This record gives sequence, C-alpha cells and structure tokens, in this order.
Amino acid sequence: MKISINELKKYVEVDAAVDELVAKIGAQLGEVEAVVDLSKKYKGIVIAKIISCEKHPSADKLNVCMIDNGQKEVRVVCGASNVREGLLVAWLPPGAIVPATFDKDPLMLETREIRGQLSSGMLASASELGLSADHSGILELDQGNPGDDFAKVFGLDDFIVDIENKMFTHRPDCFGLLGVAREIAGIQGHEFTSPDWYLGLNSKFQIPNSKELPLEVRNELPELVPRFIAQAVSGVSVKPSPLWLQIYLTKIDMKPINNIVDITNYMMHQTGQPLHAYDYDKLLAISGKQPIRHAQEKQAVSLETRKARKADKLKLLGGKELSFEDEDTILITSNDVPVGIGGVMGGADTEVDASTKNIVLECANFDLYSIRRTSMTHGLFTDAVTRFSKGQSPLQNPAVAARTIEEIIKLAGGNMASGLLDNNRLDSEVLNRMSVNSPVEVSVDFINERLGLGLSADKIVEILRSVEFVVEVTRGDILIVKAPFWRMDIEIAEDVVEEVGRLYGYDRLSIELPKRNIVPVGPDDLLNLKSKLRSQLSGMGANEVLTYSFASGNLLEKAGQDKDLAFKISNALSPELEYYRLSLLPSLLDKVHQNIKAGFDQFAIFEIGKVHGKSEKDKDNLPKELERLALVFADKKNSDAGAAYYQAFALMADIVYSRFGGVRLESLSEWKLEHKMFSQMRAPFDPKRSAVVYNFDKPLGIVGEFQASASNSLKLPQRTAGFELFLNPMLKSNLPSYSALSKYPGIEQDICLKTSFDLPFADIFNGLDESLRSNAPDDLEIKTSCIDIFSKDKTSKHTTFRISALSYNRTLTSEIINRLLDKASEDLKTKLDAERV
Amino acid sequence: MLDKNIVDVLKSRAEKGDQTVLRSPELRSLFDELKTKPSEDRRAFGQEVNALKQELEKILQSSSAKSQELRKPIDVTAPWDVNSKKPELLPATEGSVHPLMRDQKELLDIFARMGFAAIESRQIDDDWHMFSSLNFPEGHPARDDWDTFTTEEKDKDGKPFVAPAHTSTMQNRILQANKHLLEEGQPIAYVIPGRVFRNEDVDLTHEHTLDQLEGVYVDKGVHGGMLIATLKTFLQQYYGKELDVKTQPFYFPFTEPSFELVMSCPFCDKTGCSVCKYTGWVEILGCGMIHPNVLKMAGIDPQVYTGFAWGVGTMRLTMMKYGIEDIRHFNSANLKFLRQFK
Repeated sequence: MKISINELKKYVEVDAAVDELVAKIGAQLGEVEAVVDLSKKYKGIVIAKIISCEKHPSADKLNVCMIDNGQKEVRVVCGASNVREGLLVAWLPPGAIVPATFDKDPLMLETREIRGQLSSGMLASASELGLSADHSGILELDQGNPGDDFAKVFGLDDFIVDIENKMFTHRPDCFGLLGVAREIAGIQGHEFTSPDWYLGLNSKFQIPNSKELPLEVRNELPELVPRFIAQAVSGVSVKPSPLWLQIYLTKIDMKPINNIVDITNYMMHQTGQPLHAYDYDKLLAISGKQPIRHAQEKQAVSLETRKARKADKLKLLGGKELSFEDEDTILITSNDVPVGIGGVMGGADTEVDASTKNIVLECANFDLYSIRRTSMTHGLFTDAVTRFSKGQSPLQNPAVAARTIEEIIKLAGGNMASGLLDNNRLDSEVLNRMSVNSPVEVSVDFINERLGLGLSADKIVEILRSVEFVVEVTRGDILIVKAPFWRMDIEIAEDVVEEVGRLYGYDRLSIELPKRNIVPVGPDDLLNLKSKLRSQLSGMGANEVLTYSFASGNLLEKAGQDKDLAFKISNALSPELEYYRLSLLPSLLDKVHQNIKAGFDQFAIFEIGKVHGKSEKDKDNLPKELERLALVFADKKNSDAGAAYYQAFALMADIVYSRFGGVRLESLSEWKLEHKMFSQMRAPFDPKRSAVVYNFDKPLGIVGEFQASASNSLKLPQRTAGFELFLNPMLKSNLPSYSALSKYPGIEQDICLKTSFDLPFADIFNGLDESLRSNAPDDLEIKTSCIDIFSKDKTSKHTTFRISALSYNRTLTSEIINRLLDKASEDLKTKLDAERV
Repeated sequence: MLDKNIVDVLKSRAEKGDQTVLRSPELRSLFDELKTKPSEDRRAFGQEVNALKQELEKILQSSSAKSQELRKPIDVTAPWDVNSKKPELLPATEGSVHPLMRDQKELLDIFARMGFAAIESRQIDDDWHMFSSLNFPEGHPARDDWDTFTTEEKDKDGKPFVAPAHTSTMQNRILQANKHLLEEGQPIAYVIPGRVFRNEDVDLTHEHTLDQLEGVYVDKGVHGGMLIATLKTFLQQYYGKELDVKTQPFYFPFTEPSFELVMSCPFCDKTGCSVCKYTGWVEILGCGMIHPNVLKMAGIDPQVYTGFAWGVGTMRLTMMKYGIEDIRHFNSANLKFLRQFK
C-alpha cells in the first residue's frame, strides 16, 4: 500500500520528520518496504508562462519561445506541436534533471545553441516529467503562477511510503489512505475523526429520487454479494482528469485514464472500497435495448449478479477474452449478458470512454473467498482483487458511493439520474449497530496479563477511542468494545489486546524471561542419533550433503525404481522436482558425476533424510516418514584396489558394529522378502555384488555396488559403492561392552587355511571361531581376525587368521593355542574341506 | 619417435575403456604425419604407429575384461577382496558436516540450555495440520502467502497432502501431546527444526527447499514481553554479544498479535554493512502470541494458558554467519562448498 505523505497530512497532523514517522509506522503498523523522496526528482522545476512563440528561423519543426519564469524572460527552443503564447508550462532550467531520467542515467539540462538559437533548459512534456506516457506535447498546467515551484504547486514535494500489504491481510480498512491516516493518528496518540462524508453525516449532499435513467438491480447471489449499490449519472463529459488528480494517481503508481475512471480509482485509494463505472448506453445496447430518445421510452437498464455458466464469454478491460465453465465466479450481467466479473474486473464492451454520456456507478461488496477463487482460477490480480480478497466492510458502501457521485459531478458535470439503489442482505441488527461484529467484552486485567503491562482502564479507553472505537466501562474494569463500522477484524478479546498493544507501542512492553522450574527437558533420540552419525561419518572422511526431498521421474527410473509408488507433486516447479523420493541413494548417485568432473577423484558423500512411499501409512493414516542414512563412495583414482563394495562396507562397519556388535551379511541375490519400500531401496543395487545387513534376523539396510544401468546413465566411476540404512533400529543406543583388564599377557598365533575359491569367507571364519571357542577352556577369551586373503589361480584361496587368546587367571603357553588350532584344523577339514597350510 | 604426451593420453583413455580412442583425432594425426615423413624415416615411424594402435586395442580388450570382472559376483561376507588388503579409510581431515546441520546442532544446544526440548518436523503432512489447525479458514486468502506444494494423492478428508511450507505444521501435535505438562505445572517448551517447501523459483536468495526452526512456549501468565525477551536471549547467545531487538507488527493467522522481530546487525553493531544493507537492522524472524483458536484446537483453554511461537529461517542465519553468497549452494552437494565446513 503506497501512501503520499502530503495526502496523509490532509487527514492527520504529523508531528515528526519523515524518517521518524517511517520508523514509527514500522514499529506500530507494518513493515515499510520503501520510502521515495519525490522532491529530489522534481528539484528546480519552475512554473513559467510563454510570452511569445515564433517559428525557428532555420528549423521547420522548432519554435523559439520567450518565457516568463517569474524573475526574467528566458529564451527556450521547443519542438512541441502544442506550444503557443499564453501557455502555463513546467520549465526545466539549466542544471535541472529531467525527472523521467532521474532513477537511471540522469540527464542534466544546460544552455546550448539549437540551430543558431541559444536555448536555456526545456519545456517539459508529461512523459519527461515522469507523470504519464504522454509525450505528444508539452504539459499544459492548470494551476500556479510564473516563478512558482512546480513541485510545490502540484504536491510533488512529497514522500511516498510503501507499506507491506501482507501486514494488512486482516485490515481491509488499511488499503485506503483514510485507514492508514487513522492508524498514524493513533500511534502518535492523536484522536482521529473521520471526515463527515465517510461517516455518512454529509447533510448537504442529497440523493434525488430521479428516474431519468431507469435502473434496476437484481442480486441473485446474496450470499456472495452482501451488498450491491448502483446509481446512474447522466450528461457527464469524459475527458482527462485535472492535473492534480493525474498526479495523485501517478504518485501511487496508478495510471490515469479519464476523469470518471480516475475518480473511482482515487476513491478506492482513499477508502479501500473498489468501484466500477459502466457506460449506461453501452449497457442498454448490449442487453439488446435501444438508446433512450424520449422520456416516454423508459426501458430500464438492469444490472444482475449470477454465477458464471458454461458458454459465458466476456472481453475484459485491456482486451483479454475469457470463457467460463459452470463455476463459482460472480458475473455482473445486464439482461443476462456478462458485463464484468464482480469484484475483479469490468468488461471492455461497457467501458467508459470519450464518447460516454451517461454512466452507472457500482459500489458493491463481495465474498472474499469467492473473489480469491476467481482470481486464482483465471489468474486475475487487480487492485480490486487485492482489496476485496481482504473482506471489505459492507457498511461503508453508501457513504463511499455518495461521495464518489459527488466527486464525479464536480469533475465531469452531469446529474444524478437515478436513486442510490441499495440491494443488501445485511442483518438489521448489524445495520442498526453500524458495526460488523458484536461488541467484545474484555477486562483490563486480561489485556494487561497478555501484554505484561499495567495500563489503567482510562488509558486503554483513550487508546481505543483515538481510532474511533466506542468503549464503555462497566463493573469497574470490564470494557465493552464496539469496533467502528470499517473494522472487520475485531471479533475476540485477543483482537482488542493486539489493538491496545500496537497503538501503545510494543517497544514499551516489559521485557522479562519466562520463569520456569528446573525439571530437565527430555532428549530426542532421533535427533541425537542423527547428530552422532554425522560426527562418526565425517570423522571417517565422508562429507555430509543435503539434496532435495523431491526427485525427477527420470532419476527414479535410472535407479530402477517404480515412480508410481512415489507421492507426486501436482504443482511441481519442474519435472526435476516431481516426486517425493523413495530412497535416498538415487539423489546421492546423481551428485557423484558433478564432483568427479570438478576434480574430486575419491570421496564419500552421505545424507540423512526422510523418504516416503504411497504404500506406507502411519497410525494417523498419514504418509509414513521413513528415516534413512545413505552413503556413496566413489573412486576414480585407484582402479586396482579391489571391489568398491569392501570400501563402502568398511565405512558402514563402524556405524553398525558400534551399535550392534557383529552383523550378519547375506547376498542381496538371496533376498526373497517382498516388501514394496524395501524393493525400492534395493533397486539401484547390483544383487551379485551387494549384501543385506542383518542384526540377527532384523534387516538394517543394504550395502553394495550399483546396477550397470544406473552406473552408466549416471556416469559413475567403476569403483562406486554405497549403502542405505534404516535409522529406526539404531535409535536405542547400546553402551560399549566392557570387560575387565587381565593381569596376564595374552598370546597370538596365525593360521592359514586353504579352501575352495568360492567358499564364503563367513563360513571359514565362523567355522574356525566356533571350533576355537567351543574347545577352549572356560577361562580363555579368544579373538579371531582375518589378516590376509590370497589366491593364485582363482580355484582355491588361502585365508590367514590371527588368533589371540587371553586368560584372567594364568599366563598362557603356546601349547594351549596350538592344541586348539590343531583341533580347529581337523574340524574344518571335515566340515569345509579346508586344509591348514 | 612418437610424441610421448600423446601416447600417454591415448593409453590412459584406453585404460578407462574409452572405445573412441581408436578413432581419436590424436591417433589420426599420427597416421597423417606418416605421409609427410621423408621416405627414410617413414618405415620406422609407421611401425611405431601401428604398434601403438595394436597396443591400444589390447588395452581396450583387457579393460573391457576388467569391466566384465567388475560385474561378477563377489563374496559379500569377506572383509576385503581376494589378493587385496584391508580398505584404507578416507583421510579424516577431508570429512565435513553440512553447515546447516552444524548450525542446527548449535541452535538446538542453545535452546536445550534454555529448557526447550526438540523434535523434528515432518516433510509431508495433511491440509488440516498445515492450515486448519492454525486458524487458516478453508479457502482463506491468507493461505496464498504460503506457496504450498500439494500432492496428487489425497488424505482421508479428500484433500491433497502438502509439503509443509512452515514448521508450524507441527504446532497442534506438540501442543496436544504435551498439554498434560500444563496440568502438572510445567510449561510446554519445544523447538522444531525441519525442512519446509515453498513453490518459489530458485535464485541467489530464493530456494524452494528451506530449513526452519519453530519454537512454541505455553504456560500460565505468558505475555508478549516474554516472547521478546526469550528471542533476544537466544539471539544474543547465538551471536555471542549484546543485541538490540525491536518488533514490527505483522499478520499471521495463527498468532495474535503477530510480529516480525528485527535485531541490531550483529556484524557491524549498527554502523552499517552489506548484511544489514547499511540500515543497522536485520529482520530475522516471524513470531507472535499463539492465537486462542490454535490453543483451543489443541484442547488447551486460552483463558487459562497463553503462549508464544516463532519460526526462524535457519538458512539465512547460516548464510549471514559465514557470508555465503548463494543459497543454492546448500542443496548442491558441491564438495568445493561443503569441504570448507570441516
């Protein structure tokens, strides 16, 4: 909402300098987005009168003018076609900047010779003054005297303050200058009184019961159109607005059109109430009736409201053509022919233009939800939509309509040619009360407790009355607060608290921390786990990444996933962000190539995040949030370092071992369980080179290398592997298991076993470990670890283990361990056909 | 003699299994060069070029054999590959935690010290939690200020699921689950970190995926001054210095009154810098007193209890803290960016 400080001052005294006022607006009304000092732009421009105007001796299209600038006569060469003696003009003297160029690339004027004639400065057009696009000739002024400061006479010695609209979502009244002025009075502690015409107290203005231009209103949508006021005016002369009005609109970035349209926009900016003017005769024609020639032929123009129907069509102001379905959109029709979208935009075929003689003014109220739906459905965002979608008060329409008609007649002539037709469905109670909501009862304590203040009843009453609330005090400290008719937002006691706090000043609240007892708050297991995982993995040289929670269908396909199982965004920004991801890994794989290309040869990236699938609902029937950890290791450098699987496994091992002790690995190709989300998680993995990780029988996740298809389409290096783990099984953290330290030294012995090449390592390891443990005396603690795996011919292999043994009550001799190893060799010979080497 | 550089490049390409190496301009240029050689050198040079070509073919063959090898089943139960050795871990010095998560931990720590428990926000929710439970009437224009992504799939009320546009989507759940605390004489004090989504085009300062930290505090006798004091205390802890704060009235359907909190610029102490755009002040978060309807919908009596809530965009905190120039870095997975936060 843009407001002019000069216009503001017509309603309210401003105590402070503009920057202080702006700070106050920010603190007590809403964020100020911008402040523009117009006086800089119009500095030095002087009103002058053309005393003589003669053809330039050596240029056809130029004139040499002598002007009176209030001090002396000055010569200016001018090329405008409308330049003539006697004209009052805006003169830009040498040294002035052309206002239209002020914001970028300022052009400064000088005295120079034009075809042999010395010319000082220039006479400006409206477009050079930045007032409109009109550059057909110089601007002809309608006010002022030679020597006057142009900016001052035309109110351009002004500041324009732009207050953010969002703040006013619940304050329709602040979309009018009057509303903002009232607030500014309130925050300065001044009492505000609305002008009589707004309060409906304008006794001089009488509405006749004329039937000169017959007019009818039929409102078929009383629910969506609570009030519809219309009045006809005959004999107007449509022309450009006086300069002050054009400048008023230009300052707040509205485009002057003609006097009638400009007044409706001006009144909207004053009051927040959008208005629309129709050409009466075009309404007659469009509804198939003849223009009125004789007073006897009284065919009434009717304006109706109804919902849009299939096959309805309408050309809007500005030329856009709309066609409708059977929908909620409110149409204004005349004899059932659409002439406007109610509360949004008028139709082109009934537009007020230079030929218009008779008009109908509409001043209506529309349901904010309906206006919003229409605006969204048809992509129409007008000043009227901005205002109606905040819910304007239906109690201000008669006053605004009457004032608008008065202004129209003042500027465009004409007569009221019908009564003020007021079709409304308002409660008689609301109309009598002249307040939209019922009075609110609130105690002084209630207000003070919520603000942490100790205001007296008198002070609160004073604050509320300053912005025209009616307040009664009863039973000592109970306030009965009746909001004025333009306030739609005062419904409950808390709304009164907001009003008092804001106008009193939130910067005056007592700042104190809440008092709390010392009961500790609980930890959150999930957040703790995530935090630990981050430090574990980054400690192993991996880099945490965050990628979008949404992925493209294409990526899901590359990873072998079924996008039909993924939640689909219906208003996605792009196909790249169309699906909720089914697992984390595809997003990580998608980020490998860019980093390889950027020169990183070897790295591991991991992400902790949530994934979703249509098949998984939680207890509230909402999509279940599946918590996951995924990591990808990529290596372009060491192509001979063995399968990447083992590298990914090593990065995972620390995480799972520290929580579960040992884990069981089973080849992914053996995996049989059919579970939708698990199948999606496993989709990118190559089953021959991947494993399911188990804690006993509970799956923890998958580790492995990736399918050739994924690897090729995502340009992964040959040595790429990764894992994806469920976080839930890790939530319960285990303490490290501790055993007391022995006073005796332990001993170590290696054993090398030759087996068939294809015998899984786990079989050899477990066979050995079990044999050692089952045969060892009770006081022995045995640990088995692998130190080498070697194969010459890929038909057999040698696996070497290191066995360490420890006792808590004796020093061990190598005999004990040798005996155990001999026994184990025998056992493994029978069981696995393994040979001790 | 062949140019050693060209030979090395060609061989290394062949080793990577690049089949186009046999048709490469480099190899062709060697054959072209052959034609220009004086006849006495031509024979020897020709032999060299042919030998190189044969060698490249051989390398290619073995590299494709190697890639075959890389698709064979492996023993997933082994700790490392046959004839290989225990995998070396990556250099620990290159590891990093994402800057947003690093900051999240710091924020949660501050609030934990102030007595706030933490719980993560959801990434998909229903319309009721995102809007209705927060006093946004059905179809209300205020919903338009939250440019929300919705799904094709529908919830039990027949409305699309939403990608939450604010962490406030968790408020009703947290109030419901903890209202017993109020009866026990304890406040409800929670912070809620999480990802939120806005249907917004991405540029230097705009992202569709953002990180937010929500806070709620409810007890008897909580007033507006406590909201300001709590947030001021948090900001001073975070920046490690005294700050001034002020409020600007704002509008949110779920708080009344609503504010934008503005702090004195912690980077220049109000002397003016690029972070505060030379104003000395930085708008930092939205907040307000919880609307009585929001409390009521969670089964809390607003006549007895009052509370405040806020939401702070943590990406912005992190950007300002390190001087990060482009919001898009956060979700880029770019190691050049990430490894600066070791």
